Formats: sequence, structure tokens, C-alpha cells
Amino acid sequence: MQKKLLAIFGIVVALALVLAACQPTTDTTQPTPETIIETVIVTEEVEVEVVVTEVVTEIVEVEAEVERNGAWLDTVVILAEPSTESAVARIIADDIDVYAQAATSVEALATVEEEGLKYISTVGSYNEFTLSPGGPVLNDGSLNPFGVPKIREAMNYLVDRNYVVQEILGGLGIPKFLPLNGVFPDYARHVDVARELENKYAYDPEMADSILTPEMEALGAEKVDGVWQYEGEPVTLIGIIRTEDERLQMGDYFANQLESIGFTVDRQYKTSSEASPIWLLSDPQEGLWHFYTGGWITTAISRDDYDVFQFFYSPNSAYGFTPLWQNYVITDEYLDVSEKLANGNYATLEERAELFREALYLALENSYRIWINDATAFSPMDPTVTVTYDLAGGISGTPLWGHTMRYTDEIGGQVVMAMSDALVEPWNPLAGSNWVYDMAPMRATGDYGTIPDPYTGLTWPQRVESAAITIVEGLPVGKTLDWLTLDFAPEIQVPGDAWVDWDAENQVFITADEKLAMMAEEEPAEGEEAVEVPEYFTAKRKSVVTYPADLFEKHTWHDGSPMSPADFVMGMILSFDPGTEGSVIFDESQIGSVESFKSSFKGMKVVSTDPMVIEYYSDVVYLDAEWSVADFWPYYSYGEGPWHMLAIGILAETDEELAFSGDKSEALEVEWTNYISGPSLDILKANLDQAMEEDYIPYAATLGEYITAEEMDLRYANLLDWYRIQGHFFVNSGPFYLNKVFPVEKTLTLTRYQDYQDPAGKWDRFGVPQIAEIEIDGPGRVTTGEEVTFDAYVTFQGEPYPSADIQVVNYLLFDATGILVDRGDAELVDEGLYSVTLSADATGALEAGSNKLEIIVVPTVVSVPTFAQFEFVTE
Amino acid sequence: MTTESKTIQTVAGAKRKAWVGTLSRVAKYTALRSVTMLITVVIGIYLTILIANMGGYVDEIMRGQIREQVAMTLRNQEEYKQLSQEAKDARFQREVMDEEQRLGLNQPFIVRSFRFLWDGLTLNLGTALRMTSDTGSRQVRLIILERLGPTLLLMGTSQLLLFFTSVYLALILSRKYGSFFDRAVITLSPTSSAPSWFYGIFLILIFAALLRILPFGGMIGAPPPENSWEYTLDVLKHIILPASALFVSLIFISIYNWRTFFLIFSSEDYVEMAKAKGLSDREIERRYVLRPTLPTIITSFALMLISLWTGAIVTETVFNWPGLGRTLFSAVGQYDTPVIVGLTIIYAYLLAITVFLLDFIYALVDPRVKVGGRQKKA
Repeated sequence: MQKKLLAIFGIVVALALVLAACQPTTDTTQPTPETIIETVIVTEEVEVEVVVTEVVTEIVEVEAEVERNGAWLDTVVILAEPSTESAVARIIADDIDVYAQAATSVEALATVEEEGLKYISTVGSYNEFTLSPGGPVLNDGSLNPFGVPKIREAMNYLVDRNYVVQEILGGLGIPKFLPLNGVFPDYARHVDVARELENKYAYDPEMADSILTPEMEALGAEKVDGVWQYEGEPVTLIGIIRTEDERLQMGDYFANQLESIGFTVDRQYKTSSEASPIWLLSDPQEGLWHFYTGGWITTAISRDDYDVFQFFYSPNSAYGFTPLWQNYVITDEYLDVSEKLANGNYATLEERAELFREALYLALENSYRIWINDATAFSPMDPTVTVTYDLAGGISGTPLWGHTMRYTDEIGGQVVMAMSDALVEPWNPLAGSNWVYDMAPMRATGDYGTIPDPYTGLTWPQRVESAAITIVEGLPVGKTLDWLTLDFAPEIQVPGDAWVDWDAENQVFITADEKLAMMAEEEPAEGEEAVEVPEYFTAKRKSVVTYPADLFEKHTWHDGSPMSPADFVMGMILSFDPGTEGSVIFDESQIGSVESFKSSFKGMKVVSTDPMVIEYYSDVVYLDAEWSVADFWPYYSYGEGPWHMLAIGILAETDEELAFSGDKSEALEVEWTNYISGPSLDILKANLDQAMEEDYIPYAATLGEYITAEEMDLRYANLLDWYRIQGHFFVNSGPFYLNKVFPVEKTLTLTRYQDYQDPAGKWDRFGVPQIAEIEIDGPGRVTTGEEVTFDAYVTFQGEPYPSADIQVVNYLLFDATGILVDRGDAELVDEGLYSVTLSADATGALEAGSNKLEIIVVPTVVSVPTFAQFEFVTE
Repeated sequence: MTTESKTIQTVAGAKRKAWVGTLSRVAKYTALRSVTMLITVVIGIYLTILIANMGGYVDEIMRGQIREQVAMTLRNQEEYKQLSQEAKDARFQREVMDEEQRLGLNQPFIVRSFRFLWDGLTLNLGTALRMTSDTGSRQVRLIILERLGPTLLLMGTSQLLLFFTSVYLALILSRKYGSFFDRAVITLSPTSSAPSWFYGIFLILIFAALLRILPFGGMIGAPPPENSWEYTLDVLKHIILPASALFVSLIFISIYNWRTFFLIFSSEDYVEMAKAKGLSDREIERRYVLRPTLPTIITSFALMLISLWTGAIVTETVFNWPGLGRTLFSAVGQYDTPVIVGLTIIYAYLLAITVFLLDFIYALVDPRVKVGGRQKKA
């Protein structure tokens, strides 16, 4: 018997070996992604600090003269895969093609690199150590050294950010000293100040100790056997260390550093929910914590970080409700600067830059937060796939992913894309899911008036043909791109026939003239004086958007219905209606957002419907004119939607059968409107039948002027057909349509919309972010008091970086002690070649030793600045 | 009236009396058992509510989360940034208040805890606080029902296979005590100390990553086949690895347990007597081993059946299987008490009913057992 068993076992082993031998081998002929590492020319006897930026290049071989409209791919299958490690293994096994998730696993990245997979890098989250402002002597009589600004500031020297990034994050990050994100435009705008501060606060534990010691002694503490004591007890700092991510190791590192200078640290490891009541809601004076490992996230490139100084340091922050922020003590100078920036109280960009400079210095002196790193995440994919991604939001964060995703060697085909989750919450454009896992497919099924540049955050026209922006004189607004115009005017009047408010009961807009008349008739409240009614309304900004003349002929919804002006007007109505009392779909949870919108909204007007031209008036002003373009393309907060699709939801909510928002659905105890699956579908179908029977036009008093009976019949008939074929009601107009939904299986299929009007490849120019590379060449030895010139080669993928795409090339000169002694602009010599000339005075200011020249390139086509450093010796 | 008829009457009377006595005993037992079961369920559920809410501390956690969430949401709204400080504060407070009200935080926890309890006991599962079902509904009923199918499929396949295989093999081994197979099972039984997900990872590595003959996880391929026959085959293909992981992780210890159990009965005198009488092995198994062990087998089978309800949290996660284990895990993580209570109350009711019915089943299969009967004191 035993022999038989052994024989069987032997056969099984042999079979397993044969099977293993038959498995497909790795194709070693596949091109591995080229990795370009920024570097500088290294001369002998010179130590060079290298700033390394890895850029994975993509080989895109677009066949010439390919006639294809819409997306490059035929289908995209999206599924849920929660584990990064599994996702990587599945890409290697050809089970999935793309993992569109911001992954941070160092081990998984190592596998990706070993296996020659492609990956893209994004930045968006960032970490810091929040220091308690309580004390310095707390309610229980104990000491909180972080109550002293000088000690907080000293903590900057105690943290080796390079160590954290390299050793703890495995290189997945960028050292961070400031509240600005290192890859966003405001960092680039103020990069010289930033670099100055980063050099000033570089890792120097001895400096930290030298600042700390006199301050601690002044507080009455003494160091006994290397341990700080206060009133005979060790000074114990409680660290609330988050356990879910890399902040665990970072918190331990900071605790070690604090112990190394004599503090006793009580490490308390907690999850987000456990930590929140302690660091956020407890009174810092109670001393329940002394430092907390904070983490923040941004999912899109922020063009204007004007509020960070108020948000992170001031009691006037959005977090001002918390005991923590209420305990922040800031100087009058800081308050003034942060408020001016937050409220836009400056007239020129130069004035703004000066405010930023002051704020950055003061923020570091205050140091309620010790910034540690901007985290880098990666999204792995098959080497044959190429796709555009947003520098902050990744693949799923840009609408361009649907347009640009493709195989490098094939047109059409199917890509399987995984994310951590899928189909999380109901899909409806008004108040549905805003999970990134749901928004990602919606971004590919929807179309847009304008699309944010994935590398700069500026907007590009998609359906909009042109835009004209007018700003009141004296406001610091600039324009970068040529597709729109920017003008300034002493005053902007809102026309009398512009819509300025919404009458929800009668379902009509109120014009400016009507509003003024109403204001004139209003009786003042008792004891109050009558408000002076202006002759007309004014605004700080006017936007005029024009759509192509053939828009309504060429652009169709996925169910075949041509787009019409009613789709735009519906969007205008829904900006007000859900949050306005008297509405048939009034929703209390929407009041706040509608009130906020109305506080700066000044008016809008449909100037023409052939072509579609819309004017918009507002008091919200952005630094970039591109952001001031207000188009009413029917892409709502949570997805695109034609009027007839929304109509059946509105009808269902009017009858209290469904509700667009989760809050209202709970209050009414009905289902949350879901256009793609679940119990909502039967209710929507019944309401579609009812709409067809009753010839229902929502907001008929207003929308009725834009919808003919023929259009209404056609739209409802198309929607019914769509539902019969697709089994859902989610109709969009983008390059893909939602084909199949499998909610329990967490899978959905997007299929190419063949009638999409744009050619494939329209957005292919965003294939790779053009992050500049710099090489510096110059003498390794310089004689003080003599003029010297250095050359900087600025390139991208080996080719000279076009000077037209470069905003500025700066240089900073630091002496051997790290003090900034000179700064200036580099001169353009030739395409891709810049020179920096240090004057005799500048080199004369240098003492003998090793000095550092830093060159900073700020491109216009990508918001990431590039730095390179060159060290030379003075004699 | 003859003596015979009197005797018949007496016997009939005695029978009736015995029947009435039995009925009364059973009724009394049923009532008492129901009450104790109900009390047990109430205590169990209330303890679950208290533990899931950390005795009310979760309210503090949720308040912190709400404030963080509202602050971050508002910070990203351009219009909000344009408001005056007072307007910003008012907006913030309103949003916080609305959310607290929605989650019921405007009521003390103790009040809500009893409401949760009552809703649970009356099977009024209501709506979840944060979770939605896969099809987007907030009804706890749908959140559970949508995951029930996949859970029963995975757990049912693996546990039924495990149960019958282990009982069958254990019976065989109990007859071949000390044989090579018997010693092999004893040797391999410690392998069950490793959890099923541990085997799951190995199985994925071998059959999905290395050999590439089975899928990594999920319940269906992507995109799912449209033909129902192909769909079924695809589901079967996807179930092989997770079911195998659950099966492999417990099979040896399960065989070992049953085999030891059967061995005790196999060495009883009456079994030896049966062997001496020359009865066949099958006859001995059926009459003298299986029959007296039937109550234990049935108990084990019934408890196994209701355990299907709970799913397997980590194994489901490793295999990305959309089961109730992951739902419960997610509900605990999000402090979604209605979902936690919903899952627990159904399990509690199933357990109580099973335990209750088992008493009657014991009486049916084992003549030595009497429902409501008491052991006489010595």
C-alpha cells in the first residue's frame, strides 16, 4: 500500500513539474521602461548632492492617419482589487492590465521594478508632526515643551527628512519643510524662498539641542543623567502615533529623536478613529498628547494655496471649531499676513509673493507643525499600456484617462483596470457617490466643457469653443493659455435681464431688475434703516462662454438623443433648486452649499442658444483666468446627466419614492437614487412610464421654453430603449458608455461610444509630464572675488527643453555654512542652455570652503519645478 | 363492564394520562426554554451593541470624524472660502449638526442602545448609518441579502464537503486504528493550526501566480460571462481556491477529531460483541457506531450549517470574495451598529432556534433522551 502511495505521489510531483515547465515564460524581449535619472556633472574632488527625479517614459507609437473617433480602446473592464501586492501579481500574470490606485507599498514597488512593469508616480498626500500648543505648564502641572515657539522651531532641525524618505518610505516621497506642496504651482512660484528655508532648517540635531537647552532651563527643567526632568519627574511626551500606514515608523522615528535629546516618550499607537477624539477634540491644556503623526491629502493640483497659512496655523481655520486650533496663539503679524492671503487682500502678484515670503518664514518660526514629506504613490501597469494621469489625482483623477488609455502596439482591445474598490455608493449626478472608485469610471463616461490640465491644473477647452473673461481692475488675475481672452474693466455691471435668483415655488428665475424691484419694495425690519437699493448689480468677474455652432447637431447622448439647450438650463436650475425652500425636491442637506454658492453668485444669462452662449457673473476671483471660465456643461458635482435622465429622478423624488441625497433618503426612509442598479431602477422605470404618459417636463415654467414636444417624446423613448438594452438609466455623452454593471461582483464594463465626435488622440499630447532635467557644468574650484560662469543644460528626454515652455530659470548661491549669499535669474544662451554668472562681489562674499549653487527650473507646461545642485570649492 | 374492558380503559386512560403528561412536560419545557433562549439572545445582542460602540465612546469618535470630514469637505468648496468668518462658522455648525442628527448622535447612547436592541429583536433591521449594499441601497436587509448568496455558496461548498469528507474518512480510520493512513492523519493534524487564509495565499501563489490555471480571486471573471451556463462554470472556477483553502485548513484536524470520537464508541463492549457475532463492518458502523453518535453528529452538522452565516472574514478578504464576513468586518470598522446588530441578531436567532430544535431531534434519534426529562438524583 505504501509503495502504491509513493508511486502516486511521485506521479503527482512529476505532473506538477511538467505543468510548471509548460507555463508561459516571461518575455524578455519586451522593452523595459526607460528610466531617466536627473543628475549633474560630477567633477573630481567635488561632492555633489543629487536631486533625483524618476520619470518613466512611455513609448507611444501612434499610427499615422488612423481614422478612429472616441476612445482608443474598445472596452475597459473595471474591477475591485484591494491588495496592491495581489494587483502587482495579477499584472505579472496578465490577469489585469492597470492598477489605477495610488499605491505606497515599497515591497510592491520593488517587485514592479524587478519584473519590468511600468508605473506612474503621483503626489498628493503629505505628512507632518502636529505639536501640542498647550502649556508650557499644563493643567496637571506637567511640562509641555512644545508650548514654547522656539522649541517647536528647533524640532525642524531634529528631523532628518531625507532619512525618513529614503529609509522609511523607501524613496516614495519628497522631503517637506513647508506647508506648500512641492509639486504645486505655489511652490514653484516661491521656490527661491522655499529653497532658502529648506537649507536653513536642514537636519542638524546639535542645533536643535543648542536651541532647546536654554529654553528648557528657562522653563525650570534640568537635565539629569541625560534626561530632562521637571520638578523631579522626567519630562514625558505623549506621542499619538497612527498605525495604519507609514506614520507608524515615522512616529517611532520622531520618538527616538526626542529620546536622543533627553525626553521620555510615551508612544501611544492608535488608529484614526481612536486618535481623533484625543488630538482633535481634547483640550491641549489637559496634556493627553504632545505630538501626533498627522497626514493630509489633496486629490487635484491646487493652483492657489492661498489659505494654507490660515488653515494649518490660525484659529480662523476651517478647523477653528476644535480645541486644538482654538489654542493656537499667533502673532499679530502672522494673523495679518494669513488673513490677507486667505481673503485675497492684495492687488498684484508681487504683493502676493511678498505675503507668501513673510508667511513662510513666520510659519516655520511658529512650527505648530513639523512638515516631513510629500508622499509619492505609484500605479503599476502592463508595459504595453499607456495613459495620461494627473500629477496629484493619478489615473483615476483626470477625465483624460478614458481618452488616452491604449495599448502602444494596438488600436482597440480591452484593458482590465483594477482599483481598491468599485461601485461603492449610488450613482446619481446631483448627490450620488463621490468615491474615487465611482468617479473614475464616471470621468470616462462623461464629457466636459473644459478639462483640467493634468500637469498644471489649468483648464483646456473640451466642448467650449471660446471664453472671454473680464475682471475688475486692480485684482491680480493672469492668463497663461491662448484659448481664452482676459480683459479688465473699472466696473462690471450685471444686466437687468440676467438671472440672479430662483423662485422655487413658481419654478422661474428672478432677473436682476425684478430682484432690484423686490429689494426696493422690501420694508426694513423694525429698528433698522432701509437698505439703499443700487441702480444695478455689479460683479468682480464676468465670464462669457461660447459653444460651437454645430454642437447640438454633432453631440449626442449615449441613448442617441441630441444634446439641446435644455440640458444647460437644467444645470442652471439645479444650481439653486434642491437647496431652496419651496422646491419639489427641497433637501435640507443642500441648503448650505446653495447658500454658499449664492453668496458670491451675481448672475447668469443665456445670451443665445444658436450658438450656445452663456454669461456668468460672480464675485469669486481666481489667480488664473482659466479657472474663471464658468461653463454650464451638464456635468454636475457627481457626474454628467441629460435633462430627461434627471427628470425621472426628480419625478420620483417629488413623489417621495426616491431621494437624490443619502441624507434625504434616510429622512424619508426611501431608497437613495441610483441610476445604475438596485431597487431604484424599478422606481425610475415606473416614473419614466409616468413621465411618458403625462408628457412631463420638469420645471415646465422655465424649461418648457427650451423643450419641444418632439424633443420630449424622443428623449423619453430613447431612454426607455436604453433601459431595455442596457438595464440601467445612466446616460452620459463621453468617450465610453456604461455597458454592464455587476454590483455584487464589483465589476463594470465601459464600452467605446462609437458616435463620439472627437477623433481618438485628441488629448495624446498629454502622454508624459515634461518634467525638466538639469545638468550643471562649471569649474570645481573658484577663486573668491572673481567672476565665474556655470552652464545649465535643461532637457527633456535628451532633447533641449523648449524655452517657450519655461517660465523661469533661477539660481541660488549658498556659502559653506548654508547661508544664502546671492540669487538671480539664469540667462538663456541657446535652446536648452542657460548660463549663470556669479559676479565678483558674489564670489567675494564666499569664504574658503565648499559652496553650493542651486539651479531651479520652473516650466509652464508642468507644475513640478526641477532643482539641481553643484558644489564648488572656493580658495 | 368486563374486566377486559376495564383493563382496556385503564390502559387507554394511562396512555392518555401519559400523553397529557408528556404534552404538559414538553409545553412547560418549550415555554421555559423559549424564555431562557430569549433572555440569552437579549443579553447577547445588548452586549454586542455595547462592545461595538465601546460602551458609548464610539459617539466621541464619530463626533471627531464628522468634524474632520465636514472641515475637509468645506475647505474644498471655493464658495465656502469666500464667506465671512461668521458665515463660515455658521455653515460649519449646521453641517455638523445635520450629520450628528442623521447618525442619531443628538440622543444619548443609552437611549439609542435600547432602540438598536428593540429594532434588532423585532427584526426591524432598518437602514445602515454609513454602509450601502452592493446595489447602492442603505437597507440593512439588502446589505445582508446581497452578500448572503456568495457567502452560502463559498461556506456551504467548503463546510459541507469538509463535514461529510471528514466524517466518512474518520469512520474508515476508526476501523483501521494504527494504520498508515491513521498515523498520517495524526501527523498532519497540526497543520490545521494555520488558518485558512494562510493556505489561501499559498494556493494563490501556486495555482494563480505560478501555474496560472486558476483565478487570483473574486467571484467571477472580468467581464462576467453573459451566458448563464458559462457564468456558473466561471463561478465554480473561482470558488475552487477559496473553498480548498477552507477545506485544507481544517480537514486533518476534523478527521482526527471525528476519528477519535468514533474510536471511543468502536471500543465499546457491544461493538466487540457485534464483531464476535460476525456482523459485517458496514453493519457494525451503521448500527453500533453511527447510531449512538448520531446526536453529536447532528449537533455538529446543525451548528456547522448556521456557522455558514458568519462567513470567513480573512479568507474572503484574501480571495476578494464578496461575502458576509467582509461585510461584518467593514461594519465594525465603520461603527455601523444597525448592520452589526442585523448580522448578529439573525445569527443569534438561528443559533437559538437550532439549539432549541436539537433538543427535540435528540429525543427523536436517541430513545434514551426525553424532552424536558430530568435525571434522577442518585
